[in-house]
Amino acid sequence: MKPPDTILGTNLVPAPGAVFSEAEEIAKLKDSLMKRIRRSAYVFRVDCGGCNGCEIEIFAAFSPIFDAERFGIKLVSSPRHADILLYTGSMTRSMRLPAIRSYHAAPDPKIVIGYGACGCTGGIFHDLYCVWGGAESVVPVDVYIPGCPPTPAATIYGFALALGLLEQKLKARHHKEGENEVVIPIRPLIPLRLRVALEREARRMSGYRQGRIVVDRFMSILGHEGANAPFAERMKAYLDEEGDPRLTEIFERLNDIVEGRPSGWTGQSSASSSTS
Amino acid sequence: MFKLLREIVKTGDVTTRYPKKPFPISPNFRGRVEYDPLRCMACAACTIACPANALSMVTDPAAGKRTWMFNYGRCVVCARCEEVCPTEAIVLSGQFELAVRAKSDLMVTAEFSLVTCRQCDTPFAPKKEVDYAMALLERAGVNPHDLELRRVQYETCPECRRLNDFARLRETRLVSGLDAPAAALVADLVSHMAPLRSGAELEP
Repeated sequence: MKPPDTILGTNLVPAPGAVFSEAEEIAKLKDSLMKRIRRSAYVFRVDCGGCNGCEIEIFAAFSPIFDAERFGIKLVSSPRHADILLYTGSMTRSMRLPAIRSYHAAPDPKIVIGYGACGCTGGIFHDLYCVWGGAESVVPVDVYIPGCPPTPAATIYGFALALGLLEQKLKARHHKEGENEVVIPIRPLIPLRLRVALEREARRMSGYRQGRIVVDRFMSILGHEGANAPFAERMKAYLDEEGDPRLTEIFERLNDIVEGRPSGWTGQSSASSSTS
Repeated sequence: MFKLLREIVKTGDVTTRYPKKPFPISPNFRGRVEYDPLRCMACAACTIACPANALSMVTDPAAGKRTWMFNYGRCVVCARCEEVCPTEAIVLSGQFELAVRAKSDLMVTAEFSLVTCRQCDTPFAPKKEVDYAMALLERAGVNPHDLELRRVQYETCPECRRLNDFARLRETRLVSGLDAPAAALVADLVSHMAPLRSGAELEP
């Protein structure tokens, strides 16, 4: 543990990766702040070089729908009023000094939160030439709120965790391969080529994530063994239940592929559907 | 005044009761990455797809292990890993409560054993991946005799397989019938391939 004068700023420009540490009595005070807070907690945001997505979500957390102020959490515009410092964005070279200055400006005890994927580890920008990593590359971080960006509800959960109101849910996990672990291929009843053609067409029509969801539903109806009704009837029943014309169109197109009808589109999918 | 009060009553309370009651999640919400190591075969498709390098893999040939690692702190929840996963080992859930006090709690790791090459004893591919390939072939209707031959091939590392192909080429008339300069060229190629057998120049 470093002596307190290092915290209060004789050495304002640390080497990359250097971390301030806190004196013991301050750590004790902070412990009581995190465990038994009896008053409002003021939050100051420090944007160290993010995309502002996190800022939008933070402000959304203070909007009437989520209303973080009902818990006494309040955004302030000066670090001198702050109990909680919210570091958003990856720690960039140019913003490291303002980040350190706001850390020193906040009165002890203070809670530092690394907010968003960038504030936690540098996120998607972690290997940029000007990025040093997350907030912890410059200041000691107490709570990490991952997400890109964290939703307002996740933000409120993070504040509650920082103030000791809620319990942590995520734990580190490690798995070691067992003796006879075998992976069984999925969709055993549908031939691989047909499956690939269906997945490709569904993704082309409705985007990569929705496409997967749609094609999963389609194949689970197609590959359902024990059903009495023929496939066309089961599909129609499902589509009537959903009542979504977009879904109906995609399902009809996928059904064309299953029955080997050529596609109206003359791209990759017609080539793949002819193989089915 | 009455009109205003009526409006207030009609609008009701818009604020969510979130920490006390569960927050309603849209079915299209992309939340926490749920990983099932029992369904994972360490094929590394997700680590290639991941734009933020939240997913990574480290191969330790000395210990014959491959470690799959996932860092929640770097994840941008784009669902590319869910898309490419061939075995549905990665699925995105509606969970969003990810905040932690210690950074180590953001890590998920899994360890997989590697198959060693039948010829040179170098570990080269995850055991579960080779088994999965065999299961796919079996499903495609390959008969058991061919399947066993394929297993020999699949449990040989790519470098050894290449050398075997060269050896086979030399035996055929295609190579033996060559004129002297071409034969010298092939012999030269084979001698260049030889160090690969030891695996010294090719790090996995």
